[in-house]
Amino acid sequence: MTTQFISGRTGRGAAYVSDASGAAHDRFMRLSAGALAPLGLLAAWYVVGLSGKSFEEARAEIGRPFPALVLIAFIAIATVHARKGVESIIEDYVHDDETKEKALRVNKWASLAIAVLWTLAILLIAAPK
Amino acid sequence: MAQAEIDAAAEKRPLSPHLTVYKPMLTMVMSMAHRISGVALYVGAALLAVYLLALAFGPGTFSAFSWIVNGFFGHLIVLGFSWALFTHLLGGVRHALWDRGLYMDPKGRELLTQGTLAGGIALTLLTWILSTLAG
Repeated sequence: MTTQFISGRTGRGAAYVSDASGAAHDRFMRLSAGALAPLGLLAAWYVVGLSGKSFEEARAEIGRPFPALVLIAFIAIATVHARKGVESIIEDYVHDDETKEKALRVNKWASLAIAVLWTLAILLIAAPK
Repeated sequence: MAQAEIDAAAEKRPLSPHLTVYKPMLTMVMSMAHRISGVALYVGAALLAVYLLALAFGPGTFSAFSWIVNGFFGHLIVLGFSWALFTHLLGGVRHALWDRGLYMDPKGRELLTQGTLAGGIALTLLTWILSTLAG
């Protein structure tokens, strides 16, 4: 989240700073990164393992409880981390207010959709028959 | 002062330096790589979500979307995804060390940044080699 910054040169609203939310953002990115480091290593291993696999082989890999749980935990944290990271990029480089609003909204729903669809898919694959 | 004079004075004031006036250096390049790999992982995760959903639905949808991880193009996507993940992960480790005030000197930060670049490539190669051996 950004707040309007009053600059002596450009006036109110021409620049944005994270003076009210910067510390919380920083803390979240670092804490989630700490969780994502081990989860990411495992997730990378499973994803690379999927490459080249047939339908049955891929389902057998994801269907095991541990890889399924790791991949769900990974995407749950990774999408919030990614959303906040891309938010910073949008705030840094998109200066038109209307486009910025749109980009932030697309980012919010896209990250949520990835988390939901990914988790749903793994639940469907790993659920006991 | 007239408005025109104020504008003229403002024009002359220095702006904070940006990409176009910096000589590229490794710490800067890897800082950019951190952001770019982050965005690449976002796109990669979206593609993988589509693949996983197709895998969940059945063999029909799987054969329509398995190109995301299978074949030449799929291998390229997963190779890029794993490389971006390891590079971004080690970028995070680099920031964690810098947060603690370590490796901040000219030699240390250069070494740490080289480690991020080389480590990302090494971890990618290692993962693919071990994964191929594991079958």
